[in-house]
Amino acid sequence: MATTREARSPRWLRLCRADEIGEAQSRGFDPDDEGQDSLFVVRWQGQLHGWRNACPHVGGAPMAWRRDAYLNAERTRIVCHAHGAEFMPDTGLCVQGPCRGERLIDIELVVDADGELFAKK
Amino acid sequence: MKIVGLESLIFGVDDVRGAARFLVDYGLTPVDVSDRSGRFEAIDGTAVVIARQDDPALPPGPVPGCRLRKTVMGVADEATLGAIAAELRRDREVRRLPDGSIESIDDSGFVIGFQLTARRPVVLPGEISNAPGGVVFRPINSLGVPPPGSVIRPRSLSHVVYFVPDVAKAEAFYVNRLGFRCTDRFTGTGPFLQPGGSLDHHTHFLIGAPPHMHGVEHFTFHFGGPSEMITNGYRFVEKGYQAFWGPGRHILGSNWFWYFNSPFGCHIEMDADMDQHDASWQPREATASADNSQAFLLKMRRKWYPGPGIPENGDYA
Repeated sequence: MATTREARSPRWLRLCRADEIGEAQSRGFDPDDEGQDSLFVVRWQGQLHGWRNACPHVGGAPMAWRRDAYLNAERTRIVCHAHGAEFMPDTGLCVQGPCRGERLIDIELVVDADGELFAKK
Repeated sequence: MKIVGLESLIFGVDDVRGAARFLVDYGLTPVDVSDRSGRFEAIDGTAVVIARQDDPALPPGPVPGCRLRKTVMGVADEATLGAIAAELRRDREVRRLPDGSIESIDDSGFVIGFQLTARRPVVLPGEISNAPGGVVFRPINSLGVPPPGSVIRPRSLSHVVYFVPDVAKAEAFYVNRLGFRCTDRFTGTGPFLQPGGSLDHHTHFLIGAPPHMHGVEHFTFHFGGPSEMITNGYRFVEKGYQAFWGPGRHILGSNWFWYFNSPFGCHIEMDADMDQHDASWQPREATASADNSQAFLLKMRRKWYPGPGIPENGDYA
């Protein structure tokens, strides 16, 4: 995640203010208005991480069980609530479940000088 | 053996409050809910039971990642309970619990229980379709679409689907030891199984899968009909829950389906209008492609006529 003023270009989608996502929280976004979140952002140990809302286990399977609910109760893992696969919030590596060893697809994020969070298209 | 079907499914969860809200929003009725556990009943009293995953009273799952800790089946009479206990004691431990039920383990590592069924008799008409030439019709002036605000509740615990590492061994246990019948089969995947005391197309479906998949694919309750079930599904989506597949209608079993993600490490389904079969039924066999799983799949169109905000020819994208 970079911090730059150069974020305001067509290559970047504005998501929300970066400080709206608190520590160990997750939030989904539907920037293309598909009716379902295509990506989600997690703040873990202070850093924001963006991931495609697509479990590598079943092609493109959405992962939350309720809107914005991508984490386990302890807030230590991203969980796919289709078949229980668990992923590290910072690396996207699956550490338990049906796709162990595979990774989530990362989304490049940037926070501009005004604190706005953008995702790379 | 008169096993009548599923009586309850017991899960260990990491967030009892969140799971409880999920089950109530699904339509189940909470009974004896605390911060540590809860029971959530369908109309006939069949249920999902949840407890904290570290609750020492919970039996172990088949593998550490599986949240299903026990599958309880209902039986019609004491004779069946005794017959099951005698059969399983031939090669495994069978425990008699204080509530009179028995507990053992299947050949795939799932803890199973059997109890005299406590299903409450339900007399409640299912969905009726009006058709020219038909014999049974809805009462005059009654409506086919559930009105906004109407209460929709699951009627009965329907079926559970296991991922098992050795599907032939898993099937043999239920067929040879517990008297289940195979009603249909997906080639290379596994059988739909019906117990001796039920006419439902299946109460169990087994999917052969690699060891790291060992666990549950989904479980589901029967609803009163497709209109009720799909209305309930849309309400569920409106509450923020994540749909996975549906609404549609399966081919094997003919049940209407809608699958959702859940906090139980597996999908949860809503189903309606499953086929019933007796011993004269000849099992079919099909390959498990999506084309053989969905007779049709429905899609909601929010706007379908010209009006504010859409092209004058309508929105047919």
